[in-house]
Amino acid sequence: MADVTFIDVRRLQAEAEAADVVLAMDEDAFRAFYDRTAGALWGYLSRISGDRQVADDLLQESYYRLLKAAVPFESETHRRNYLYRIATNLVWDAQRGPRPLFDTAVEMADMPAPEGPVDAEGRADVRRAFGRLKPRERALLWLAYANGSSHSEIAEALGLKTGSIKLLLFRARRRLAATLQR
Amino acid sequence: MTPGNRRIEREPTDAEIEAIVAEAIAAEAALARTEAAPPSSAIVWWRCQMRARQEATRAADRPITIVHALAIACGVGLAVSLIGSTAAGLRGSSGWLAEVYRSLATTAAPLAAIDLTSRWVTLPMTAMLISAVVATVAAYFIFADE
Repeated sequence: MADVTFIDVRRLQAEAEAADVVLAMDEDAFRAFYDRTAGALWGYLSRISGDRQVADDLLQESYYRLLKAAVPFESETHRRNYLYRIATNLVWDAQRGPRPLFDTAVEMADMPAPEGPVDAEGRADVRRAFGRLKPRERALLWLAYANGSSHSEIAEALGLKTGSIKLLLFRARRRLAATLQR
Repeated sequence: MTPGNRRIEREPTDAEIEAIVAEAIAAEAALARTEAAPPSSAIVWWRCQMRARQEATRAADRPITIVHALAIACGVGLAVSLIGSTAAGLRGSSGWLAEVYRSLATTAAPLAAIDLTSRWVTLPMTAMLISAVVATVAAYFIFADE
C-alpha cells in the first residue's frame, strides 16, 4: 500500500470509469455464445430451483462470473460445462445460504405454464415428481435427458467424479419413476 | 398416455424406467424452452460491463479509504493531545490571560486614533483587497484544470 499514492488512485479510478473493462470474451463472441446457451440454461435453472425469479437472477450472475473467470477454455463444450458448473454452484449457494431463495423440495407444479395443447394433468404430475427429488438429482436428470450431456460433461458441470455419475443417475431415475407411478 | 399418468402394473425394468424418465424430462424441457424468456444478449453484456466497472472503481477506492481512516485517526489523536496539553497549561498558569488582554489594550489604543477615511489608509486597503480577490480567482483557474 505504501507504493500507492493519491495520484495513482485517481488515475486508477479514471481508467476504471473510462476504459472498457477487461472481460474473458469480446462482445461479439459473448453474444453469440449467450444466444446459443441462455434458453437452455434458463430452463435448467428454473427447473432445478423451481422458481422463475431465481432463474432470472442466477442467469445474469452465471454469465457475469463466466466473463470474469480467468480460465483458458479449450472448446465451446468446455466453456458451456463451466457455465453450468457456475450456475449449479449458484443454485446450491442460494439454497444453502442463511436465507434460502427456495426450498429443497420445490413445488414446480405451481409454476404457471403457457397455454397450449399439452396434457395439463400429466405435466403437473411430472413437475410434482421432479420437485420432490433432491436438487442434485434434478440437476443430474436434467443435464442427462434435457441437455443430452455425457457422463463426463455432467461430472464437470456438477463437480462430481465421472465414475459416480452412472450410479447416481440410476438412483435418480428410480426415484423419479417411483414418484411418477404413485 | 403421458409420462405423468403412465402406470405399469409389474415392477418396471431399467429400460422402461429410463424410457419413462426420458420422456417426462424431454416433455418438461420442451415446455421450458417455450417458457424461457431470457433478457437479450446486448442487455446482459451491458449489465456485465457496468458491474465490472463498478467493481473496478470500488477496488480502486479501497486504498484511499484506508488512507482516509488513518488520517482521521491521526487527526483525532492530535486533537486529543492538543486539548490535553492546553488544559494542563491553563491549569498551571491561568493569570497569563489577563496579561495578554492588558498588553493588547495598550497596543490597540493608538490604532483607534487612525482616520479611516484618509486616502493614505483607504488606498493601501483597497489594493490589498483587490490582490486577495485576484489571487483567489487565479488559484482557482490554475487548480481547476487539474
